[in-house]
Amino acid sequence: MNEKPIVSLRQARTNKSKFYLYTIVFILSAIYIIGLFTTPFSVSGSAASPLDTLRRIFIVPLTDMEYIVQFPVYIGYMIETVAIAYAGVTVATILAVPVAFLAARNVTKRYSYVGKALLNAIRAVPELIFAIIFVAAVGIGPYAGVLAISINSIGMLGKLYAEVIESIDQSNVDAIKASGGNRIQAMWYGVLPQVLPEFSSYSIYRFEIDVRASTVLGIVGAGGIGAPLILATYQRSWEDVGMILIVVVVFVSLIDLISGKIRKRLV
Amino acid sequence: MIEFKNVSLKYPNGHQGLKNINLKINDGEFVVIVGMSGAGKSSLIRSINRMVTPTEGKILVDDQDIITFNEKKLRKLRTEVGMIFQSYNLVKRMSVLRNVLAGRLGHTGTIRSMLGLFPQKDIQFALDNLDRVSIHEKAYTRADQLSGGQQQRVSIARVLTQQPKVILADEPVASLDPPTSHKVMKDLKRVSREDNLTTIVNLHFIDMAQEYADRIIGLRDGEVVFDGPIDQVTEKTFEEIYGRPIKEDDLLGGDDD
Repeated sequence: MNEKPIVSLRQARTNKSKFYLYTIVFILSAIYIIGLFTTPFSVSGSAASPLDTLRRIFIVPLTDMEYIVQFPVYIGYMIETVAIAYAGVTVATILAVPVAFLAARNVTKRYSYVGKALLNAIRAVPELIFAIIFVAAVGIGPYAGVLAISINSIGMLGKLYAEVIESIDQSNVDAIKASGGNRIQAMWYGVLPQVLPEFSSYSIYRFEIDVRASTVLGIVGAGGIGAPLILATYQRSWEDVGMILIVVVVFVSLIDLISGKIRKRLV
Repeated sequence: MIEFKNVSLKYPNGHQGLKNINLKINDGEFVVIVGMSGAGKSSLIRSINRMVTPTEGKILVDDQDIITFNEKKLRKLRTEVGMIFQSYNLVKRMSVLRNVLAGRLGHTGTIRSMLGLFPQKDIQFALDNLDRVSIHEKAYTRADQLSGGQQQRVSIARVLTQQPKVILADEPVASLDPPTSHKVMKDLKRVSREDNLTTIVNLHFIDMAQEYADRIIGLRDGEVVFDGPIDQVTEKTFEEIYGRPIKEDDLLGGDDD
């Protein structure tokens, strides 16, 4: 009976790669250890007890009639928030399509980096910064919020759309060209039917994200439910903070649920 | 008539696809091109509608050199030279009927086609062509719901709907099982007979080639090594084309009738 040598599943590491591996592990551990010892973990005292604050946020608004009647006001703000997200994502969906074609490698070949650079630049800026800029430019209110949301969404949607375009099956396009169709027809009949369901799916997904993003835009004055939220926290009016959070959680969960269902049917 | 005059094709990566091809294919002929994979069958067939462009020589289609064609003339040529692909190349998310009508795009204005406003007689014609390949009842089904054989018959209907003079079929049955392959080839042969279409088919199974061809062209390493009517073809001919003895793998079998 001849013994077979033990075979490892992994390719044997060279000394060089071992050295790199150990160096990386060492540096990472060092960073964690330094981080752990230099962070102050002490809790500074506060007049209000944390338990009482939690009760005022989550229990009182749901049990005290005085607060329950105020819910419609915040639901109104939340609807404005959803409207901002909806308008923003609609604009972004339309504008992201041409940018995505520009950024797709199989459409613009080596010029695709122009579109990609543009999209990366947009995504590098947080939407709150866009919101501050637009509040300064067009004034306080939901219009600034819509602009901020739409610009920011173009960054993500454009990139996702471009990836969808890059992954299409070129054979349909070939078939239409081979039967004498022109470029526009090849795009319309060969590319669009392949990408449309995924485009809409990504747009709906982005709408979910934008609803969440719009809730904080009000903090800088760009409309929606963020403004009363930040006001209530400054005044330590925890009952109002609680009501707002409950409205936000219910709306966001509902929208996620519905959009998830729609997206499942699309793709 | 299609005429190749000293046609060579060298790909940018240096691979020599075709070497000095001289051929004449008459109107209404059913020609099968055989050869091993990499012999240049696809290059030859795709040169005729300029999906690839030869680097030397002339290809005359109805006495016009198509290698010099600009984009506009090329589109006109392609409406007259239909193509069937190995992987069917249907738009999977579109209905069968829309896929068949895609064959009319070369005859339809851009705006009209974008709005989906095909003339009623075109839609009727598309349905008639689906009927000819006996999948009329699948007209409103999504293309990806169909079996491989049905999808290839849809692509035959699509080609017929563009009313070509020539059909090029690049390995039309290579992804199908033997009985389905025979059904598809029989449909293809029948419609091309009925409409008197010049048909050029790439096949690599020699029994299929023998069964359906009027004429066989053998390719090896980008060169024509055999060209003759089917009654001159024997097993010996195929051994010459392939440059080795015939094996079981070269036969498809499975024709049940």
